[in-house]
Amino acid sequence: MYKVLPKENLQSLFEGLRKIGDVYAPVKISGLSHDFRKVNSISEVDLEYTRTMIPPKKFFVKPRETLFEFDEEKLQYAEVQNGGGLNVILGMHACDINGLKVIDAAYINENPDKYYMQRRESTLIIGVSCTPDEYCFCRSMGADYAVDGFDLFLHEIGRGYFVRIGSEKGLRVIEENSSLFEDASKEDIEEFKENERRKAESFKLELDISGLQDMLDLAWDHPVWEETAEECFGCGTCNLVCPTCRCYDVADYVELDLKRGERLRRWDSCMLRKHGLVAGGLNFRPTRVERLRNRFNCKGSLVNGLLNCVGCGRCTLYCPAEIDFVKIMKRIRGEP
Amino acid sequence: MSVRNVLVPSPARILKSEDMTDIEKHIELEILDKEFAKRFVYKPGQFVEVGVMGVGEAPISICAARKKEDLLELCVRKVGRVTNAIHRLKPGDILWIRGPYGNGFPMENMEGSNLLLVAGGLGIAPLRGVLQYALTNREKYGTITVMYGIRCYTAMLWRDEFLQLFYEGDKNNVEFFLSYEDPSDKQCYELQCERSDRCMSGVVTKLFELKEVKPENTYAVICGPPIMYKFVVQELMKRNFDPRKIYMTLERRMKCGLGKCGHCIVGSGRNMKFVCKDGPVFTYWDALMTKGMI
Repeated sequence: MYKVLPKENLQSLFEGLRKIGDVYAPVKISGLSHDFRKVNSISEVDLEYTRTMIPPKKFFVKPRETLFEFDEEKLQYAEVQNGGGLNVILGMHACDINGLKVIDAAYINENPDKYYMQRRESTLIIGVSCTPDEYCFCRSMGADYAVDGFDLFLHEIGRGYFVRIGSEKGLRVIEENSSLFEDASKEDIEEFKENERRKAESFKLELDISGLQDMLDLAWDHPVWEETAEECFGCGTCNLVCPTCRCYDVADYVELDLKRGERLRRWDSCMLRKHGLVAGGLNFRPTRVERLRNRFNCKGSLVNGLLNCVGCGRCTLYCPAEIDFVKIMKRIRGEP
Repeated sequence: MSVRNVLVPSPARILKSEDMTDIEKHIELEILDKEFAKRFVYKPGQFVEVGVMGVGEAPISICAARKKEDLLELCVRKVGRVTNAIHRLKPGDILWIRGPYGNGFPMENMEGSNLLLVAGGLGIAPLRGVLQYALTNREKYGTITVMYGIRCYTAMLWRDEFLQLFYEGDKNNVEFFLSYEDPSDKQCYELQCERSDRCMSGVVTKLFELKEVKPENTYAVICGPPIMYKFVVQELMKRNFDPRKIYMTLERRMKCGLGKCGHCIVGSGRNMKFVCKDGPVFTYWDALMTKGMI
């Protein structure tokens, strides 16, 4: 079932979403950057953004979260409820939705992570269509279109949004705000199709991913790793801005009585020296060369059949050393 | 929500904490939550995340076959922050555990075959579980050959146990070989004088000079410091072992044990593994297929 949301009804839909829970949406926070923030009014929201610096994974894999609080004296711990009520994320792009599906594969399919699942289940995701810029290569990665992983998806058309329904939760939003939606006409459908076609044609960046896994395997000793490691600062920005990176570190914080405290986890980065370091001082990825190679191999690998890269372009755009992800992948493929 | 929280640990009381060497303790734990204990079914080669609240967690391999539902044995080397904290604890104190994690050794696959266990230093800990399991189910396995490489006599773990095997193992069809790295070690030298067919100085691979190892109907099981694997594998490959019949258990940084935190990742895009959940036991075939594994 497809619907159309006329542009003038967006504000009313926004009010409807606020009744469900807190609404988070892309907000222009500086001349160059957008960020997903809690919003109170549709006027704060910029649905025509290109990308946020930090992907919306931050709502699901928290930069820092308490796993539990402990009291050693009493031999007890209190599991922290990190779920909460239903929240709405408005304006996620297809790449980020597909990125979340990659994290789902790692966090839910096996040994489900309760905190992550709770947040996933208590979040309503509304996608929005986008226009690729020169850093986007999501189409090459098969992530330019979200088949699922969302509740509603808004595709911009002339008179508003062509709406796809991705879940029962999404259907309920439409039912509860039924006066705001119209049935999709033949013209709406044609326009949706035309826009999709135009988007597909507008990509300036491409990467051939056929056989990428073997290309990476064959490039294990390629000079590109050493050459790039010379430029790399090892800062880990690429991990922070990646919509599929999910490595985390665990740490205990203790009160001054040395009895009570909390165990927390926080984002980690495979580009940092300590990532492969074990007690006793042995480091399985001792230099930036191994760490950089590991990151590219990880991004090119599959988790439950899904590529660990969705082609959002963030790691290239935000790398302070201007390391170009696609260029490196092309080089290991032997492309000019 | 019905999903169990896999990130919260369960308390276990220290029953025994004995110094085996200057840096290694043998710790026996009683799992206090009996429901958890029931679920806590493990096999040789699996590991647990052992935690001290306020300090952190460390992955420690289980060093004994499962005998009793709520009992767990670990060998802990004092080497980092968490293991130092574990060493400071005494019987009666509490450790927090999660697990068991990892695949463990496929003891069933190896039934009907001879076993060749090659251990270096602390690597004997997970292999002790294999050995115990095989001795408990003695009729299921052929000849058991153990090659144990130590630095010196005082660094030998479970000394009484293994010396007994060294002297009397043959009664049970267990051949126990010992190598020691410090040639000036008197006690080891005495052992060598007594049984020059079973003991010699040098690294563990030297023991292949004492024992004619044959690949037929034999599984090799290796554990030791990372540097050791390729040398032992070399010896085995010289003797035409099937790479699929060489098992190794690997060390990596492991924060979660669940294949999520990412630290234990190994391999290329073609074959990416999380040592904690896809291993820590791998075959040499896996190592051939996975870049950077050994």
